[in-house]
Amino acid sequence: MDLVDAFGRPRVVVTGLGAVTPHGIGVEAAWAGVTGGRSAISTISRFDPTGFPVRFGAQVPELPPIHDIPAQVAPLAADLKGRLAVLALREALEMSGLPALGPRAGVCIGSEAARPSLADVARRLATSEPPTADVLARMRPDAPTRLMAVLAGATGPRSTVSTACTSSSQAVGEGVLRLRRGDVDAMIVGGVDVLVDPIMVTGFSLLGALSTRNDDPQGASRPFDADRDGFVLGEGAGVLILETLAGALARGAEVVGEVLGYGCSCNAYRITDSPPDGRGAAQSMAAALADAGIVAEDVDYINAHGTSTSMNDASETRGIHRAFGSHADTVRVSSTKSMTGHLVAACGAVEAIYSVLACRDGVLPPTANLHRPDPECNLAHVPMQAERSPVRRAMTNAFGFGGSNGTLVVAGRP
Amino acid sequence: MSRVVVTGLGVVCSLGSDPVSVAAAVRAGTVGLSPVPALAHLPDDRAGRVAKPPIRAWLKRRKDRKLMARASELALSAAGPALGDYPGDRVDLGLYLGVGREPPDDGDSEAALAAAAVDGRLDPEALAGRGRDLYPPLLPLKTLPNMALAHISINLDVMGDNGAWAGERGAGQRALVAGVQAVAEGRVVAALAGGADSLVDLGSARDRLRLGHTGPPGEAAAILLLESLTSAQARGAHIYAELSLGAAGPRLEPPLSAVGDVGAASVPLAVVLQIAAGIDQTTHVHQPEPGDVSSAISVSAPPPC
Repeated sequence: MDLVDAFGRPRVVVTGLGAVTPHGIGVEAAWAGVTGGRSAISTISRFDPTGFPVRFGAQVPELPPIHDIPAQVAPLAADLKGRLAVLALREALEMSGLPALGPRAGVCIGSEAARPSLADVARRLATSEPPTADVLARMRPDAPTRLMAVLAGATGPRSTVSTACTSSSQAVGEGVLRLRRGDVDAMIVGGVDVLVDPIMVTGFSLLGALSTRNDDPQGASRPFDADRDGFVLGEGAGVLILETLAGALARGAEVVGEVLGYGCSCNAYRITDSPPDGRGAAQSMAAALADAGIVAEDVDYINAHGTSTSMNDASETRGIHRAFGSHADTVRVSSTKSMTGHLVAACGAVEAIYSVLACRDGVLPPTANLHRPDPECNLAHVPMQAERSPVRRAMTNAFGFGGSNGTLVVAGRP
Repeated sequence: MSRVVVTGLGVVCSLGSDPVSVAAAVRAGTVGLSPVPALAHLPDDRAGRVAKPPIRAWLKRRKDRKLMARASELALSAAGPALGDYPGDRVDLGLYLGVGREPPDDGDSEAALAAAAVDGRLDPEALAGRGRDLYPPLLPLKTLPNMALAHISINLDVMGDNGAWAGERGAGQRALVAGVQAVAEGRVVAALAGGADSLVDLGSARDRLRLGHTGPPGEAAAILLLESLTSAQARGAHIYAELSLGAAGPRLEPPLSAVGDVGAASVPLAVVLQIAAGIDQTTHVHQPEPGDVSSAISVSAPPPC
């Protein structure tokens, strides 16, 4: 087996996966949810959404108590975002069976700043007191990175990518680059985000970006459908353990998949809009293909960014056509956001996990609610139900507010 | 691996926006800290505040400014001069930025949140009603950490490989390292790399105190145009310095006593000012974040033509 790729770089493989998604705790629960075509979107129960223009979201289920957190990072694990990070990390580490980590293991996580709770905001308004040091530490974008590094005993390089919806796609990409360079032997990469929050619901609904199908939450996220009306806020975490193939084989690790390529781009267009011609998306996909050393015809499945907004889905479709040429008529495309909502900073990692599993199992998760494909989104969809089909290589896209684009190309076990 | 050189510099801080004069001011011991009325009740009301970011020359649409948090204004104000009249293709130009923490909303949401307070607590129903009427609709797009990167991309037509890193001083250093690596490895021919941060609003200043940070807060952006040596020489560009990974020579310290704590802009600012002051010996920057052992950058005189 070749330990280096066509460019002479060390091959980078996946030896551990961990996830908490609106479908439940654990990777297999997440995978069963999306391959079952089951929407995890429902009326918001975490707070009373009465009166809000949008009253539904994709919430994670009730989480178990988290134990055994070292005191130095305990405040970082005290909120939902921290608990999501801990659960996903622990699952990924257990699956990988990585021995004691240290300076040869790094952490790169995609994350945004956490929002203060309504109680914290109210206290600040009432007293003019700044938040406590623990609250401030939790709100930092790099809080999940610091938490995971300490829990994993990873004392190597660590960084936090913060590019909105592209964050964790770029975090995976950064992990790949570090392994290829030989900076580290293992990278913990992924993302975490929590968006089902009164202030976020207020802000994003005022932007007009959210679906308002309050009477049909499960039918609200409908990427590429002619009747789509916006995205659905979600939450979750995804973590991947990356190693070089040589390192994984040397320690007898079970390899789940491989990351073949990574590309990214900026749209240079507008803050709120995607370019109608999909040029930035196409550039990102083309860069990932080139980095993987493959051509479009080598890709069997695309896990699209597919947010269910009118503009994103049409722009991504044109981007796929630009990057894939005539193969765009053949390559199968679906958006798992139709069932999970939009996990924003976590979506790139979680959808990379789905893409690895699609290669592993030869199953294409569907786009739920795709009853009437928009003619502007002329792709080879996987509508409504999962399909069995061998997947040699899968691509996954993540496109962020402000025009950052990230694309990964993955494959199954070498 | 290509050698990486600096062919453009941009800086904005409380001491000005011309790299050479800012570097001279720092060497002369000038302090760019002054009282800020909003910080009046804090133990130290001084901050390194930029009077007026010179942004207008770089802004395509003036109305976009209302979408820009302070860090975004500073970032674009520094990126414009750094890019200058770079003649290369901006489709493949890289963009790597350290952005520190999430930009504050400058009190934009205060009225909405105050209107949503009922009996000392924030009431979701009130937030959904009268609070929502007062909530600025574009606020989420102003305060996302990657917006500084987005505004540079949009206004300067930069479309290539990119990244935005959060996490205080280490974020700007990480961005510079990423830029050097991308050019050295040939993933891009040229790249803008640096950091931007603003900590001079009341909320950020209070948060720093609560976290035990000492010294006055500041705000700044410092951005460099990086190119491969061969590319820069081929186009006859002025080469200011060479950057390489690893620590060589004495360690540079960011001029925080002169401009305040400028967060994610600290390390890029130290590099820009060292270059602008003239390089008489190789130096290095390294603001180690715990665990990060791979990110020192050395700054050397430009290679002979």
